[in-house]
Amino acid sequence: MPRKIVKPEDGILVAQNITKQFGERVVLENISIAIEKAKTTVIIGPSGCGKTVFMKHLIVLERPTEGSVYFKGERIDDKEEHRLAKIRTQFGFCFQMGALFDSLTVYENITFPVEQHYKIKDYKALADTVKQKLAMVGMDGFQNYYPASLSGGQKKRVSLARAIALNPEIILYDEPTTGLDPITSDVINELIIKLQKELAATSVVVTHDMKSAYKIADRIIMFHKGRIIADGDADHIRNHPHDVVQQFIHGKVSEAELAALRLGGTKFETQFLPEDFE
Amino acid sequence: MIETIGRKTIEGIENLGRFSRFVARTFGAMAQCLFKPRTYPLIWAQMYTIGVQSVPVVMATGAFVGMILAIQTYGQLASMGLEERLGVLINIAVVKELGPVLAAVMLAGRVGGALTAELGTMNVTEQIAAVQSMGTNPIRYLVAPRVLACLLLTPLLIIYADLLGILGGYLISVWQLKINAGAYWNYSAIGVERWDVCTGILKGFFFGGAIALISCYKGFTCREGAQGVGEACTEAFVGCFISILALNYIFAVVLDAVYKSFWPIRPLL
Ligand SMILES: Nc1ncnc2c1ncn2[C@@H]1O[C@H](COP(=O)(O)OP(=O)(O)OP(=O)(O)O)[C@@H](O)[C@H]1O
Ligand SMILES: [Mg+2]
Repeated sequence: MPRKIVKPEDGILVAQNITKQFGERVVLENISIAIEKAKTTVIIGPSGCGKTVFMKHLIVLERPTEGSVYFKGERIDDKEEHRLAKIRTQFGFCFQMGALFDSLTVYENITFPVEQHYKIKDYKALADTVKQKLAMVGMDGFQNYYPASLSGGQKKRVSLARAIALNPEIILYDEPTTGLDPITSDVINELIIKLQKELAATSVVVTHDMKSAYKIADRIIMFHKGRIIADGDADHIRNHPHDVVQQFIHGKVSEAELAALRLGGTKFETQFLPEDFE
Repeated sequence: MIETIGRKTIEGIENLGRFSRFVARTFGAMAQCLFKPRTYPLIWAQMYTIGVQSVPVVMATGAFVGMILAIQTYGQLASMGLEERLGVLINIAVVKELGPVLAAVMLAGRVGGALTAELGTMNVTEQIAAVQSMGTNPIRYLVAPRVLACLLLTPLLIIYADLLGILGGYLISVWQLKINAGAYWNYSAIGVERWDVCTGILKGFFFGGAIALISCYKGFTCREGAQGVGEACTEAFVGCFISILALNYIFAVVLDAVYKSFWPIRPLL
């Protein structure tokens, strides 16, 4: 596939030729994406292909080994931390693992970004906003819980509510629906669509859930081993000629992986017995 | 072999460089904190966990030090008929060295371990990245209040340790060993100068600062997983302990020099 040249003005958030290495290991290789304003871009790809690492580059939690990131035409990946702070308030980042503050209650988690950036005068209004944000993700009533006493999916939803607390322009969701039941997943999909429609929010969503990808995406990008192998709208991806893409979207294992399973057999060569450890 | 030594040296120097940058940024953030009344609640909260809750252990440390010194030295002094000078000996030792150092070691264990574990866990569960992602400087929000609390309260805790050390020594000497109380306090008053007390407390600032900075740094740079947090805690405690001893040595040398040059001409100044 001929690689398009991406320019800083091409979108609200632009990654240009990003390469990321951890030591010797190359995780992202020459990735260029221009994310358009008020559109929902979905990133799919097999586990461990570098989606989370890429998302972190967009908000400069990771800095690229090579290449650059532009926000509204301005280069941000080489900025110092205290300059990034202002820019980051226009972002919402929903971490894959939630990353809720476990020493704060759900309520305090959600007010955290607000309190950090605004002088709060009307606490009643704040409480109402929190209630409303939590209601959006179906978590109203859990204000006084600590994250430790929530289930995995509940944590995820609270972290989503926290990410949208400041009404950000750009929302980065790292697997927002993983671990949720089908109905709640769809609520989250509707939420993403609603934010895009009503606030003209730009969303970047990492997901494994093809159904939700087709539903919310204006554009789908598929990563494979640190590279982009497919990029286009839902139909483009559905009819993509590449085997890897087809296998991924239909959730089929490849011949090679089946062969590996067969080779492994169903029994271990040497069965471990409890006696062996005594 | 030589390669290993070289690599270790380079690693060590790099680490030191990173630590210095961390310290510089923390001091910058602390200055900001002091001018922003909004951050005071964070500092109060840390002062409570770091300072107030440490009072009992620090007092116990001080008391035992005083009592043990009394019992251990009594025999030798008594054999020379100098038992009334026990007071000077105990009080000088407690106020100058043992009170500050042992209180600091106690704090390194109690506070240092907790800080590293707390920040380390936050680090591996991406909570620090989350603070960052919301446009807040994690050093200002997490590190500065902790370092400030530790820095300001360690001297106070040392005063508690000193007090209890003096009291413990007194109780054993006067009540158990039946030394004349008047003589005990008289000799102490002659022997212990205000200089000794003040320098002992002054050390607290440095010990407290070192404990908090090292522990927070270790928490921020800890490796993934439960083992990573565990290792960071161990390294933090060892680092705190060594730096307390090293700082104390530097203090001994520097303060001695200062004392020798200025204290005799004190009435003239
Ligand atoms: N801090 C790090 N240090 C070293 N390697 C890392 C680091 N973070 C990620 N990696 C490596 O980068 C690769 C991509 O990780 P990443 O978390 O982006 O995967 P992912 O696409 O999000 O997978 P999943 O769908 O399972 O979340 C992984 O193989 C991982 O080993
Ligand atoms: Mg991921």
